[in-house]
Amino acid sequence: MVVKRRTAIIAAMSIAATIALILWKPTVLIYGLQAAGLYAAVAIPMGLVLGIVHIVNLSHGEFMMVAAYAAYSACKALGMDPLLAIIPTAIVTAIFGWVIFQLTIRRALKGPELNQLILTFGLAIAFTQTINLIFTSQTYKIPLDYVSASMDIGDITFGTWSFVFVAVAIVYTYGLQFFLTKTTTGKAALAVGQNPRGAAIVGIDVYRTYGLVFALAMALVGAMGALFLTKSAIFPGVGTPFTMKSFCLIAMAGVGNIPGILGASVLLGVAENFLRAFRPTRDWAEIVFFVLIIVVIVGRSLKGRKS
Amino acid sequence: MKRMMLALAVFALIAGSAYAQGTIKIGGIWTLADITGKQGSAAAQLAVDEINAAGGVLGKKLDLIVVDDEGKADKAAAAVEKLATVDKVDVFMGGMGSGAELGKIPAFKKYGKVVMSTGAAGSVTVEKALGPSPESDFYFHIHPWDYNQGASYAEGWDAIQKQYPNIKIRKIFLAYEEGAFGKSSWDSTKVLFGSDMRYTIDGASFKSALFGGGDYTSVLEAAKAFKPDLFLWAGYDADALPLLEQSKAMKFSPGIYLGAPPGWPIGFGSSKLSRNVMLYGMWSPAMNDNNPASAKFYKNYVAKYKEEPATYFAPLSYSAVYILADGIKAAGTTETAPLIKALEATKYASPLGETITFKPSNIIKHQGITRQKILQWQGGFQEVIWPFEAATAEPVYPFPAWK
Repeated sequence: MVVKRRTAIIAAMSIAATIALILWKPTVLIYGLQAAGLYAAVAIPMGLVLGIVHIVNLSHGEFMMVAAYAAYSACKALGMDPLLAIIPTAIVTAIFGWVIFQLTIRRALKGPELNQLILTFGLAIAFTQTINLIFTSQTYKIPLDYVSASMDIGDITFGTWSFVFVAVAIVYTYGLQFFLTKTTTGKAALAVGQNPRGAAIVGIDVYRTYGLVFALAMALVGAMGALFLTKSAIFPGVGTPFTMKSFCLIAMAGVGNIPGILGASVLLGVAENFLRAFRPTRDWAEIVFFVLIIVVIVGRSLKGRKS
Repeated sequence: MKRMMLALAVFALIAGSAYAQGTIKIGGIWTLADITGKQGSAAAQLAVDEINAAGGVLGKKLDLIVVDDEGKADKAAAAVEKLATVDKVDVFMGGMGSGAELGKIPAFKKYGKVVMSTGAAGSVTVEKALGPSPESDFYFHIHPWDYNQGASYAEGWDAIQKQYPNIKIRKIFLAYEEGAFGKSSWDSTKVLFGSDMRYTIDGASFKSALFGGGDYTSVLEAAKAFKPDLFLWAGYDADALPLLEQSKAMKFSPGIYLGAPPGWPIGFGSSKLSRNVMLYGMWSPAMNDNNPASAKFYKNYVAKYKEEPATYFAPLSYSAVYILADGIKAAGTTETAPLIKALEATKYASPLGETITFKPSNIIKHQGITRQKILQWQGGFQEVIWPFEAATAEPVYPFPAWK
């Protein structure tokens, strides 16, 4: 009863805040949602890996960077649009992810968590430096007309292309929910995530499931790599900031809570753009991410102590 | 014992052959992620190859050793240490961003070798850290300081408004990247354009794509609300296309859309978004028609690398190698004191359209170029608009509305 009441209060406050923003600073909501879509679409695959395989993949952003370079190479070689490269890139990144999992991460799963962190951190450095050696640290960008698509509502004109990330984040969230709750493989993955020993006793191949989930997550982040190429210039360090942001969004949402990542991303995206909208707080936007994560973790700790 | 003798013999043979061959080592430090570093280092190598093909310097070949500073001060400092202690270079050159250059200065001072600096415009940071003569006499700064650039632009815009009465500038908005380069641009813009109240200045910072940013919506929103006559952005080549794409999406088209990155992305001119964007620079291929040094540099660069030099840092770095080579020839050595004396007598007719000499600046003793140019992308090419004596085209004004 108390939980229901609190949920209703949060929902009412969110709706009120949204209406106030639409009336007062509509662009904060528009650009906040666009940024949130990008953050969530990158963070959700990391949440899947953390929730089921139970590893913090510090090379997550670098997988996206490698995928973006793969998509760029394909686009340049074949003269194709990055949108057409999404599915091939996802397949290639999934295979690459599965190979990396079998060769490295699988070996560290039974070890202390620190080993897993060091391993994936090492992978991140290895990916960045390899790309640096092949492509140099020169930036690349494919000019595309459709990314400048815009819409007018009253006096405001805004770009609409970045809403594609919102759509992807929603598809990822509900697609994964469907996969995990309605398909046999997904249910097995959920079982492995909740109780690997129990899942093994009932005949589920735990390591095969881990490999499959990791490959699926890499496919999703690979698709994002190709899509990211439409909007941004790429260079070897382009994925690194997304790893930390994704991890923090997962921490805010709670491990295993994929729809929660979507909510945390909206909070972060809107808060950042809200601060950027005012002259005195423009330069504070980069800090909001750290403030939110500290508030959430301290709040959760206090709540835990109380209970 | 026999093994030791054999090892000593091999060592003596290798050392002897290296000594006999004789090279003058130039340590070049650039940010290779940026086109300025990529093409600057390539142009320096072109000059080294040309000089070596013509017999070298003092009977020795030049050897350019390039290290990437990744635009970071710590990496730049480590690059100086590596070049000085491992490669044992005779002189240093290169540089672009002021933040990275600032990291090099303590190490430069420690080793005291001659530095031919091709970048770092931040006077408040870099020039101040160098200090006055004689402690900074080893440092030859070819690139103008920010106050030189600002004075040049102020003079240029005044002249353009006088020459073309339809061009009227009252409100200027600067979008600047949040690093040392952007902040020093903002500080100097406020002083140069805002101090006498002739112009109204506003600005906002953004995180460059080069450092993990790439979302310009809030800075463009602020600019659009300000309704500037002149919109100027100071960032890097990685920002050029995404910034224009987002400007187009937001239908932001000020009277003058001006970019001031140190270099433009390769192929930028072929993008439709480049049309009538103005820029600050020192050189353009359009100058080949009336400058033989420029034409020679351009022809040799394109022949060697099969791409067009897209930034003035290419002819600037090319010039830096020739200035160093001429100085070493005149000094007869790479020793610091005689080389400084020889370089002080430099008179180099550069591809940049001016003869480079070294004069005192506000703080240091050896400042090269002090003037920049105002250019415009027209039909895929950079045309010089000002100074009028070097102009290759008339300005297209206003910047057309997005379709």
